[in-house]
Amino acid sequence: MKSIEAFDLVKSFNGFKAVENLSFSVDEGEIFGLLGPNGAGKTTTIRMLSALIAPTGGRATIAGYDVQDDALKVREIIGILTESPSLYGRLTAMENMEFFAKAYGVTDKSERDTKIRELLDFFQLWDRRNDPVGQYSKGMKQKLAIARALVHSPEILYLDEPTSGLDPKSSKDIRDLMEALTENQHQTILLCTHRLEDAEKLCDRVLIINKGKPITIASPRDLRKRFSSGQEVQVGVSQLDSDLIAMVRGLPMVVNITVNESENRISVSLGNELDTPRLVKALVEYGAEVRYVKPLETSLEDAYLELMEEEQ
Amino acid sequence: MRLDKSMLVFRKDFIEISRNKEVLLPMIIVPLIFAFLLPAISVIAPESVNTPGEPDMMLENMISELPEAVQAKIMSLTPTQQYIYVMLVYFFSPFFLIIPVMSSSVIAADSFAGEKERNTLEALLATPLTDAELLLGKILVSFIPGMGVTLIGFILYTATTDILTYQSFGMFIMPNVPWIVMIFVLAPAVSLLSIGVTVIISSRVKGFREAQQLSALLVVPVLALLFGQASGFLILGSRVMLVMSLILFGIDFVVFRFGLRLFQRENILAQSR
Repeated sequence: MKSIEAFDLVKSFNGFKAVENLSFSVDEGEIFGLLGPNGAGKTTTIRMLSALIAPTGGRATIAGYDVQDDALKVREIIGILTESPSLYGRLTAMENMEFFAKAYGVTDKSERDTKIRELLDFFQLWDRRNDPVGQYSKGMKQKLAIARALVHSPEILYLDEPTSGLDPKSSKDIRDLMEALTENQHQTILLCTHRLEDAEKLCDRVLIINKGKPITIASPRDLRKRFSSGQEVQVGVSQLDSDLIAMVRGLPMVVNITVNESENRISVSLGNELDTPRLVKALVEYGAEVRYVKPLETSLEDAYLELMEEEQ
Repeated sequence: MRLDKSMLVFRKDFIEISRNKEVLLPMIIVPLIFAFLLPAISVIAPESVNTPGEPDMMLENMISELPEAVQAKIMSLTPTQQYIYVMLVYFFSPFFLIIPVMSSSVIAADSFAGEKERNTLEALLATPLTDAELLLGKILVSFIPGMGVTLIGFILYTATTDILTYQSFGMFIMPNVPWIVMIFVLAPAVSLLSIGVTVIISSRVKGFREAQQLSALLVVPVLALLFGQASGFLILGSRVMLVMSLILFGIDFVVFRFGLRLFQRENILAQSR
């Protein structure tokens, strides 16, 4: 079943098209990334899918509900982490959580208390639950905002830069949580991020947009493949000398070689992945003591940057 | 529309306001000044409240415009007693219309424009609360504390006035019927108008201060009433106030219809940062 479907979505502000003919669908339990530079139209897209602003053209459905005709139902079933934490600084964490839980219809007190406790415990905020949120650090506010988005156990979650302002440990916790939510509870996540390593690790598919227009939809793996120029491997040896380097340079399958003498390491671009065993064989036959062979892949970031360059 | 959802917004905003000195202080200080300082000045130093120019003529004008029964009642009083009576029972009464205007507009400005300024609006608008539920919650949080402060101010003013004047007059001069009409009928009508106008202003501006400064202009018509009463041009008798209230409630209705049309998620988000 499709959790999110967008058909030719358009949003104009005073004649300026912030989003133009955006079509995509997200499956239930999928983590779907929305990537693009600042001003690409990511936040506007999320706002349309949250029934906060109305599309100028096209339509979108969330779990089958139309964002314009069933706006209230759409807002009920989604949880949203907005660009800024959007928390009430004079209220305590507990008061913020209780307000939003009730606003989202979590009326049963024991269910509400259990959920709030569970979330604040997970984000290590329980001990600070009675402090005004205005006294929280940026990272704590971000964690609380994510906890708020989850307080009504939404079917679909929109996360706009969820790891922004978080330390590495907290960022990893959030990533683990997102994986757990989709795996165990089949929640669908629409992730908007500039952290391409997050998107690479988490997303089943990503949609890259620029200036409001869709550029491509693909899995991070397919994108990496598309922009991979061949096979690149890193080889560590015990002793690196000029003869060995010259020998490798002379091999027919070697396209390019980069040398790091201080680390006794060479990075070799090969014609294809079948050439890796041939390279290792040639090194061993030469008498080199090979310590490790590590394939180097094109990252999502490389693919993204190339796409953006192509666009410009 | 679900009333419990509006009450939820009311409670949330009320807690926020009760912890906001910027909103709380003017709400407390102004009624306290009106409640204690005005009766004290009028009773202890009657000459100090005289307006420059022709005070006696002004007093005579006011007395001549008062209902005949009141005129007959104060004829037997000494000039000082007459002065104190007219000042405390008639001249200062429009001051108590400033309290609901000021309190309601300060809270309404904080509640609407303040949310934009503090970037808390988007998460609130993303909740499954309807526009009408959100608007009603925010109107209630502007109206109830504003009227509460007005009522407390009125009780304190009445108590202070009666304590200070009982010995001299041998009776309680406050409250009288016009005051009751003013506090319970005219003040709510004025308060609602001030909230309605502030809602409209807030939907058009980005910050609390801008909204507060613009809504402060609402005090001007109240000051006109004050000067009208002082010059004897318009005495706020019960009948006059009931007619004014009726007209104001009608204007409130129109203003709120207009405000509700402006209170739309997309418009509000477009104005926020």
